[in-house]
Amino acid sequence: MVKKRVPDWLNSSLWSASPSATEDDRLQRYDSKPSTPTPPSPVAPPVPEPPPAVVQEEPPKPEPKESVNNVHDASSDDSAEDISRQAQLLAELSKKVINVRELRRLASQGIPDGAGIRSTVWKLLLGYLPTDRGHWSSELAKKRSQYKHFKEELLMNPSEITRRLGKSTSPDDEPKSEGSGMLSRSEITHGEHPLSLGKTSIWNQFFQDTEIIEQIDRDVKRTHPDMNFFSGDTPSAKTNQDALRNILIVFAKLNPGIRYVQGMNEILAPLFYVFKNDPDEENAASAEADTFFCFVELLSGFRDHFCQQLDNSVVGIRSTITRLSQLLKEHDGELWRHLEITTKVNPQFYAFRWITLLLTQEFNFADSLHIWDTLLSDPEGPQETLLRICCAMLILVRRRLLAGDFTSNLKLLQNYPSTNISHLLYVANKLRAQSTG
Amino acid sequence: MVLVLALGDLHIPHRAPDLPPKFKSMLVPGKIQHIICTGNLCIKEVHDYLKSLCPDMHVTRGEYDEDSRYLETKTLTIGQFKLGVCHGHQVIPWGDLDSLAMLQRQLDVDILVTGHTHQFKAYKHEGGVVINPGSATGAYSSITYDVNPSFVLMDIDGLRVVVYVYELIDGEVKVDKIDFKKTATTNSAH
Repeated sequence: MVKKRVPDWLNSSLWSASPSATEDDRLQRYDSKPSTPTPPSPVAPPVPEPPPAVVQEEPPKPEPKESVNNVHDASSDDSAEDISRQAQLLAELSKKVINVRELRRLASQGIPDGAGIRSTVWKLLLGYLPTDRGHWSSELAKKRSQYKHFKEELLMNPSEITRRLGKSTSPDDEPKSEGSGMLSRSEITHGEHPLSLGKTSIWNQFFQDTEIIEQIDRDVKRTHPDMNFFSGDTPSAKTNQDALRNILIVFAKLNPGIRYVQGMNEILAPLFYVFKNDPDEENAASAEADTFFCFVELLSGFRDHFCQQLDNSVVGIRSTITRLSQLLKEHDGELWRHLEITTKVNPQFYAFRWITLLLTQEFNFADSLHIWDTLLSDPEGPQETLLRICCAMLILVRRRLLAGDFTSNLKLLQNYPSTNISHLLYVANKLRAQSTG
Repeated sequence: MVLVLALGDLHIPHRAPDLPPKFKSMLVPGKIQHIICTGNLCIKEVHDYLKSLCPDMHVTRGEYDEDSRYLETKTLTIGQFKLGVCHGHQVIPWGDLDSLAMLQRQLDVDILVTGHTHQFKAYKHEGGVVINPGSATGAYSSITYDVNPSFVLMDIDGLRVVVYVYELIDGEVKVDKIDFKKTATTNSAH
């Protein structure tokens, strides 16, 4: 086996991005590094050994709308390219027919937080909104009413269902006001009674679903406990939780093959957050319906990771983890050998959560939104992009990994240190160029 | 949507060994929110079995119950309805609907659940509704040997109650239902 040298660009001082002044603002932009994207320009002042500079970002508690002002008057070193990218995105979005390829190209560099366009861009990237602007209102109306219909159908409890059926068959409900007498017994329809054990009985199905609904309930309550948007006693947090719950229940009922698996709530949360914080009032009000369809679309590429029976198959999670391993081996053989063979850190121990939850648990909320910008917009598709980002995550901490043993490496990878996201995405991007070369 | 099971007069072990197997297979824990028992279980084992179906259980004393701590009558509120429970051997003439109506007015409840006659009855009068779930085991009563096992499941949903009557006739479970609503202005007559 030819010993692969560590490529030059990995050794450049691009590693050490300078820390940016981020302490005072929420939802800080990550990309206030002085160096431009063209490598390698050793601009950074001497910095301590890796890990790369930590960008402290608190989880975004207020809406991004508020932070628009913060962002603009705080860090004046918002690079001009950022503003220009925002302008380009806005320009692209205001066209009558949107060029999705162009949008992808722009979005993969990151969507500026301040512009409030992330919601629309994600909807376009996930194919929820058609490219022709003129069709937006009709499409949205159609989808939203479809979701409403789903909810009505699927979230009714059996009492209501029988009542509605009863109303349609026997419209008389007035004899009850008569004085006294034996109450008349009536036949039940289709053997439907609450203790029915029949497979097709709505009552039986209802009780079987109760288990899943309890599970969904528990997970929704545990989603992002540190964010006021999702947890807390405010009525808005409760409505948000209800929305998450409804979406997951409707999804579970519509997909009996996969139902609900723990972790789906984590994938749902960023989508809902972004859509609910859409500056357009109408969109924010219909966030639940929009999120449902985009969730289905996003999950469609990753469904097989959630199906236990497919674990060992070609499409299952194990095979995806193996692909990640291969990718690492290709790009950094030394690290790969050290990790898998010397220290025996099986990638399943850390990559499982990275891959199934699309990195939502590894970084703080704002960072994961930025990662998702790239994930959703990359023309290669989210699966490939995810693997590249995971590989980049490993490569970025290679020095610590190479120096560590099983315990310290595992600890490091399971609590991945915060890092400069744009740098991470940049490295991930470079991996693409390399593998095709 | 609250499911309330009403049953009684099992007379285990004196007059019957156990609930009919077809009933037992339907009664699984986790579905029912409350159990109302008119009395005459008669032993602790039956009490424990019913408790395993649902932790919220209300029992009144029948004349053969071995646990003397049960009350003679009990009232509880479920949703919009007030329910009263009494075994019924105290009300003379046994099974007389007017006398039971009197008891109902005394307890001031919308639905009175009684037993003792081992015959299913659902009767409406101005004061409310009287329901007799019959005997869940089909045990003979002081009045008759010809008893079909029966019990009642009430689905209380807002102001409406759907009463599902489960009867074992010739070895088959027959289910009927009775619908009634409580009008908002109907109070127990004063």
